Amino acid sequence: MQIIRTEKLEKIYNDNGVPVHALKGIDLEIAKGDFMVIAGPSGSGKTTLLNLMGALDKPTEGNIFIENEDISTKSKKELSEFRLKNLGFVFQAYNLIPVLTALENIEFSMMLLGINEEERQDKALALMKELEIDELANKRPNEMSGGQQQRVAVTRAIVNNPSVVLADEPTANLDSETGAKLLDLMQKMNKEKNITFIFSSHDSQVIERAKRLLILKDGKIVEEK
Amino acid sequence: MLLTLAWRNIWRNKRRSLIVMISIVVGVMMVFFTNGFMNGMLFQMLKNQISSSVSHILIHKKGFNDNKVIQSYIPDPELVEGAIKEQTGIKNYSKKLISFGLLSSASNSSGVFLNGVNPIEEKDVTKIKESIIEGTYLTENKRDLVIGKKLAEKLEVGIGDKVVAMANTPDGSIGSEMFRIVGIYKTFSSEFDKIYIYANKQITQEMLEVENKEYEFSIICEDYQQADIIKEQIKNQLPDEYEVLSYVDLLPMIIFQIDMSKQWMWILNIIVGVALIFGIINTMLMSVYERIQEIGVLMSIGMKNGKIISMITLEAFILGVTGTIGGIIFSLLVMWPFYNSGINLAVFSDGLNSFGIGAVIYPVLNINDFAATLIILPIVSVLAALYPAYKAIKLEPIYAVRYV
Repeated sequence: MQIIRTEKLEKIYNDNGVPVHALKGIDLEIAKGDFMVIAGPSGSGKTTLLNLMGALDKPTEGNIFIENEDISTKSKKELSEFRLKNLGFVFQAYNLIPVLTALENIEFSMMLLGINEEERQDKALALMKELEIDELANKRPNEMSGGQQQRVAVTRAIVNNPSVVLADEPTANLDSETGAKLLDLMQKMNKEKNITFIFSSHDSQVIERAKRLLILKDGKIVEEK
Repeated sequence: MLLTLAWRNIWRNKRRSLIVMISIVVGVMMVFFTNGFMNGMLFQMLKNQISSSVSHILIHKKGFNDNKVIQSYIPDPELVEGAIKEQTGIKNYSKKLISFGLLSSASNSSGVFLNGVNPIEEKDVTKIKESIIEGTYLTENKRDLVIGKKLAEKLEVGIGDKVVAMANTPDGSIGSEMFRIVGIYKTFSSEFDKIYIYANKQITQEMLEVENKEYEFSIICEDYQQADIIKEQIKNQLPDEYEVLSYVDLLPMIIFQIDMSKQWMWILNIIVGVALIFGIINTMLMSVYERIQEIGVLMSIGMKNGKIISMITLEAFILGVTGTIGGIIFSLLVMWPFYNSGINLAVFSDGLNSFGIGAVIYPVLNINDFAATLIILPIVSVLAALYPAYKAIKLEPIYAVRYV
């Protein structure tokens, strides 16, 4: 079952008056439950593509459908709502809210959905237990290692049961062992919960685990495995 | 959770938040001190005027207040007294004769308001007895006279000295009488002390050939704030030929100033608030710029603009409320000793006395003053945070999340 489809996706940035063609007519279909990696050299357009599929940016031309909903025509407010309900994000620098504990960070996106405190605590704790990070519940980000923070970030990304989790270089700041553990966790979520994961990465251990690999160069898909 | 987040965000940079809070505390203290001091002066002026001559309600023959002529005596004192006795809420009252005249000593003369009073009634209505600084209050001796310190200085007289009072009788002739000074008083108003003299009513009535005539009923209510209501009730019971005036009618300037001081409290709060706006804008802007990446993450995970605005304005609101409450607490702590001992301004006593104010000012604050500050400053804080909040929601999440 297809979950994301892009049609003739173009993105042109204006770099101080100079147009930069970041994506050049990307046509793509991603199936539900995919574990896909977008790879390519710097400047190939992988982050731009991830941002467009993550409803963080709008294409210059073309359309993006997520679960058959065209997100390229949505307003900023609608996109925000769409991201909240349908997407999860994992960032390279973990980006947890520093003043909140791990549990509160995970609860936060549920709070944005209006879920009551008791329910979100129960759900967040249950998920933390499932992912074996419940001992981190009351720790703040500065009290956790990078790997621990990224595991919490993954938990935050999946707690609202999103259709797709977009991960931008999630292992870039981790050593290979910690990175592997994190990928184990994401693979487990992919298999058990059928969550679609889309990575932007040039980390070989991420690429090795991909069910599907997309290689971009100069804004075009040059190879697909 | 938004409240928890806002609260913890405030304490990320303790020093900066404390500086903002301290500036609010100082602003609040300034507002309360200024207003408390001003209210203290105004209420003292009001109290002094009431306790020396005006009392809470005065009843005269119509026109007497503007033109105190000896012909304007109260037509039917028994009718007035009956109306007063029927009222509830009246503590004391006195009847008196008032006439403008001349008081002469061996060395000087001065225009005076001669007050013929029943000493027993009068001591419960005015504070002249309590203001005696030399000699005694009026006794049963009919030639006793009590005068103010300033007048005594002008006439160069002291206790036991003889003086002669002269005033017009109703038929236009001059009535005069010799008095002996038994007491010298000093109130908070040097102007009052120069003019008002007190003698036994009977001798003044004989001197002015107005036996059994009354010119003024002075009433003290149990609650001065009820004076206007009681005034209206008495007025309704008396014919048109009487004038019934409350201290509000008699002291319009002071009442106006007191009313103004209530408005002034709001104005002061707004002035302090405007000054604080810039501090809060600066603090919140710095706070937003320090958290660009974090705000980008919040936007990415779906936090809507309204919630981001709420989060930032909530931080400013907490700063405002905490600072205001701190300011109120510190104001009370600092001003508390002055509620009992007052603020001694003896060095300015001459100037203050000419306005009917004592040298010691007791600050006055009421619940409305606290309410005004508690409403205005947090609102101002929130308004000040709107611009930083606007800057935050204008961030693009894709750039903000990668901002270093």
